Amino acid sequence: MQSLLDIPRGARSLLKGMGVTIRHFFRKPVTVEYPRKRAPVAKAHRNAIVLIEKDDIGSHNCIACLQCEKICPSACISITGSRPDGIAFKRPDKFDVDFALCSDCGLCLDVCPTDTLGYSEVYDAAGYSRADSKFDLLEAWRDKEGEALGTLRERERKKKEEREAKRKAAEEAKAKAAAKEKAEGKEDDKTGNGTAAS
Amino acid sequence: MPELIHVGRDEDRDTYYLNMGPQHPSTHGVLRLRLLLKGEEILEAEPIVGYSHRAHEKMAENRNYIQFLPNTSRIDYLSGMIYNIGYCQAVERILGLEVPERAEYIRIICCELNRISSHLLWYGTLLMDLGGFTPFLYCWDDRENILDILDEVTGSRLTYCYGRFGGVTMDVNDEFLQNTLDFCKRFRERLPEYETLVTENIIFQNRCKDVGVFDQELAQDFALTGPILRAMGHKRDVRRDEPYGIYDKFDFDIPTLNGADTFDRFLIRVEEMHQSLSIVEQAVSRIPDGPVMAPKVPRKIKPPKGEYYFAVESARGHFGMFIVSDGTEIPYRIHLRTPSFANLSSLRSVLRGTMIADTVAILGSIDIVLPEIDR
Repeated sequence: MQSLLDIPRGARSLLKGMGVTIRHFFRKPVTVEYPRKRAPVAKAHRNAIVLIEKDDIGSHNCIACLQCEKICPSACISITGSRPDGIAFKRPDKFDVDFALCSDCGLCLDVCPTDTLGYSEVYDAAGYSRADSKFDLLEAWRDKEGEALGTLRERERKKKEEREAKRKAAEEAKAKAAAKEKAEGKEDDKTGNGTAAS
Repeated sequence: MPELIHVGRDEDRDTYYLNMGPQHPSTHGVLRLRLLLKGEEILEAEPIVGYSHRAHEKMAENRNYIQFLPNTSRIDYLSGMIYNIGYCQAVERILGLEVPERAEYIRIICCELNRISSHLLWYGTLLMDLGGFTPFLYCWDDRENILDILDEVTGSRLTYCYGRFGGVTMDVNDEFLQNTLDFCKRFRERLPEYETLVTENIIFQNRCKDVGVFDQELAQDFALTGPILRAMGHKRDVRRDEPYGIYDKFDFDIPTLNGADTFDRFLIRVEEMHQSLSIVEQAVSRIPDGPVMAPKVPRKIKPPKGEYYFAVESARGHFGMFIVSDGTEIPYRIHLRTPSFANLSSLRSVLRGTMIADTVAILGSIDIVLPEIDR
């Protein structure tokens, strides 16, 4: 008997539910047809890391300090660096990232002292083998490395000159001060002598 | 171990074992349920876990405090933000770090949004397990909205690593706050729709009412927490009992019901989404300006020697972290008390004597996340 009574109740609730679903037919579609259209990538979206360009150098500014390599929880960064002639800092010779291990925690970006690490905008970096997710971050910058080294050397030279000039100025100032002190000292002596004499 | 029940060949041909899972769409991951059946009745059910064990606790012993951050959101990938922020808050409490006001508000907004998204996923999958496919798609649509909002600021969609000791990685802009308010408004309009479609549906009601009733003793025996416990009439919530962060500044209810059946557990979570929405709206309207990172965070995190316990309320219940420090940069031990594990333990007692078709409803209403159980 109860089940018979349930029939009209059930039919009503079913129709009400169908009313809700039918209304959805006339709403805007919420999906994006992926391969043909792409959803926009959020600005902060985290992805494989890249070396970003620093305007004043014309290339990345990695100094191979290995801080990102040290803090990486999954050890997916491997860097070797050496110091080119005429530059105070190191430059990386190798900067490999195994994106298959990366967990997008962003700790490497936090510790980077020159802020030269950033996220790429690729979001479908799928591959057929593990080697496909190994990225050489220096690849994009190889052509510009010579130029960047030139800029850095130039900057280093200027810095050196500035330092030299500063040092010279400081020395001169010191010498001047010493001379002045000497002169003042003599004056003091004179006055001292004078008072003593009188 | 369960007492061995003799499965006789001759005496009783109806008694047999059935493996549900580990590869079963209704076990929400890789849970294996070994059911001893007599016809359609369950005589004994034994959950077998461990298929997605990744040794998060062991990993914590091999890395320093900051390197454990990305692990936290992977313990429970559906409410990763709460776990991530919770771990940050635990370490901050140990170190005595002050977090800027703005960062606290951002944390609350993100955590509550994450709680709603976790409940939405549960809502959709429970309905799908019970045979209703349409609500699943609607829930996914709303959840996608939240993921997009969080993606804008955290950079991830699921496994967030947004919190840092002393604040958060990125400040939110007005667009984020506006999007959040828009979502709240939209979702408040959608919830009555869900009610008409699902809650009032007679098939759904018949499949849930008086199904899988939890005994009151179970709560104490298995240390149940979260929505399950609140559906049994206990007003327990870490956000209210031991307020962490700035939860004490917000005005929200802890919903409770007394039926302890599947339908009540369903209603509790729906009501919790309402409460979370209200918290988010309060936070957005009161968020102050300022920095989002504490000015002085030590570069090397070295908590003083000792044992510490800190708990947060995740979407599934009481998530506790027991941290033992020996004064070095690397934790001596981090034990994670995860709510799903305790809640799942009760399944054996609840399933005994029920019908096999109710298994998915009961299991779904407990809302388990397997990676959190196995860790």
